[in-house]
Amino acid sequence: MRGITIGQYFPGNSLLHKMDPRIKIVLTLAFVFLIFFCKNFWALGLMAGFLLVGMLISGVPFKMLIKSLRAILVIVCITAVLNLFYVTDGNMLFPGTVIKITDKGLYTAIFMTVRIACLIIGSSLMTFTTTPTMLTDAIERLLSPLKIFKIQVHTLAMMMTLALRFIPTLIEEIDKIMNAQKARGADLEGGNLIDRAKALVPILVPLFVSSFRRAYELAFAMECRCYTGGNNRTRMKQMKITYLDVLFIIAMSGIIAGVILFNLFFVHLI
Amino acid sequence: MPIISLKNVSHTYSQGTPLSVSAIENINLDIESGELVGIIGHTGSGKSTLVQHLNGLLKPTQGTVEIDGEDIWLNKKKIRSVRFKVGLCFQYPEYQLFEETVFKDISFGPKNMGLSKEEIKNSVLRAANYVGLKEELLNKSPFDLSGGEKRRVAIAGVMAMNPKILILDEPTAGLDPKGRKEILDMIVDYRKKTGSTVLLVSHSMEDVAGISSKILVMNKSKVAMYDTVDNVFSRAEELENMGLNVPQITRIFMKLKAKGVSVDSNVYTVNDGCKRLVSLMKGGNV
Repeated sequence: MRGITIGQYFPGNSLLHKMDPRIKIVLTLAFVFLIFFCKNFWALGLMAGFLLVGMLISGVPFKMLIKSLRAILVIVCITAVLNLFYVTDGNMLFPGTVIKITDKGLYTAIFMTVRIACLIIGSSLMTFTTTPTMLTDAIERLLSPLKIFKIQVHTLAMMMTLALRFIPTLIEEIDKIMNAQKARGADLEGGNLIDRAKALVPILVPLFVSSFRRAYELAFAMECRCYTGGNNRTRMKQMKITYLDVLFIIAMSGIIAGVILFNLFFVHLI
Repeated sequence: MPIISLKNVSHTYSQGTPLSVSAIENINLDIESGELVGIIGHTGSGKSTLVQHLNGLLKPTQGTVEIDGEDIWLNKKKIRSVRFKVGLCFQYPEYQLFEETVFKDISFGPKNMGLSKEEIKNSVLRAANYVGLKEELLNKSPFDLSGGEKRRVAIAGVMAMNPKILILDEPTAGLDPKGRKEILDMIVDYRKKTGSTVLLVSHSMEDVAGISSKILVMNKSKVAMYDTVDNVFSRAEELENMGLNVPQITRIFMKLKAKGVSVDSNVYTVNDGCKRLVSLMKGGNV
């Protein structure tokens, strides 16, 4: 239950921390899309280099960033192995033996691994340098054009903020309930799949009950402080796009141009 | 032979990381069978960590925990049987209720023990009787009960396992004075009927003073005192230095004694205090 790093904020005062969160979200999205446009190692290398610079100036310890990979390690491994064995064109690396791995298979496996790593580190770099409140605030503003379609953007953002806020609380709650049921002899580890699923009932039911209770309490508390939704609310922190943001936008545009060029001039891997 | 015996027990949370916190240090403790021990201490003094070691929810990072003279971690697979022997009821236990009916919820523990249907029924009825639940409540949903009733159901859920040792972590937290008294009376009654060892964690001196046979004071991850009620409260100054208080009524009698009134200071409940004052005013001996 512990060690969940996605969505964790690492306090700091770097250029990335100072960036306008709206720009940060847009640039991260651009980065993620761009990674899927990379067709060869040159383009992907450019992206990885850009990411590395980002990691360096963020001041977030590399260890923490690498840790965020741990959650998807299994997926990365499976992708790599599948690619390694299922790509059949290209030259055999070990001709004459039973190991049927081609050079192209190996390249694809490496390519996919780097791509997924960049994807995860890139997006966690954003969450590491932006507080959850800033993040939801920025999302609210980015989505505000949707108001034309009568979508309650503020409500959505508030829901997200609350959901994030309650993750640690719920983890603590799960721990407590698990201990209480274990004390009554609940067996949470042993048994087959069905037994294990059944063993979850004594944990999930109290968890749902207390979540509803918390939700009611929170709603009352918000109403007591005269919360009526997003209309006519002003903000304490105003967001401002500065030269710094312009600089990052220019850098990103450069990278986009670079990736397009590399894709055009070098051989496509995939 | 003591029923609970801790030898050099220490526990460090998140050991080996920068976040490591030592919750209890070097605890040596022998508790005799049949005792009612009140465990008191500040928030964060290690009370809850200590009791979670007794039924094997936490494994000591150092030292051994012996129940009935047997190291509970000797055979890891048998740890569940320790939990049936040492019933632990957590703080706010009403949040662990999950079944459709009160009866089913109380029977969760006995069912896990693998008892027969008949035995389960008997233990549930007996436990319901201990906590004073009326029989017609047993077929209701636990979520329809009042707060105090829910707490009783949850405590009954632990008692239904017939534990040799019953540990209650802050069983009176959040209850009104009447509810507190009812729960405490129920605990005393339970001990009388079953003869089991009871450990009662609390940070209210008033709660534990009247009913305990011994008091265990935790301070800063260590056992500061473990002695009879009289002996612990005779060290009132030390207690106060730890930020703990002796019960108000005891303090009054201590002050009276200091002023030269001929009273004993071993008074822990208001009732007892009243009686003594009345007899003092009548001119009798106290």
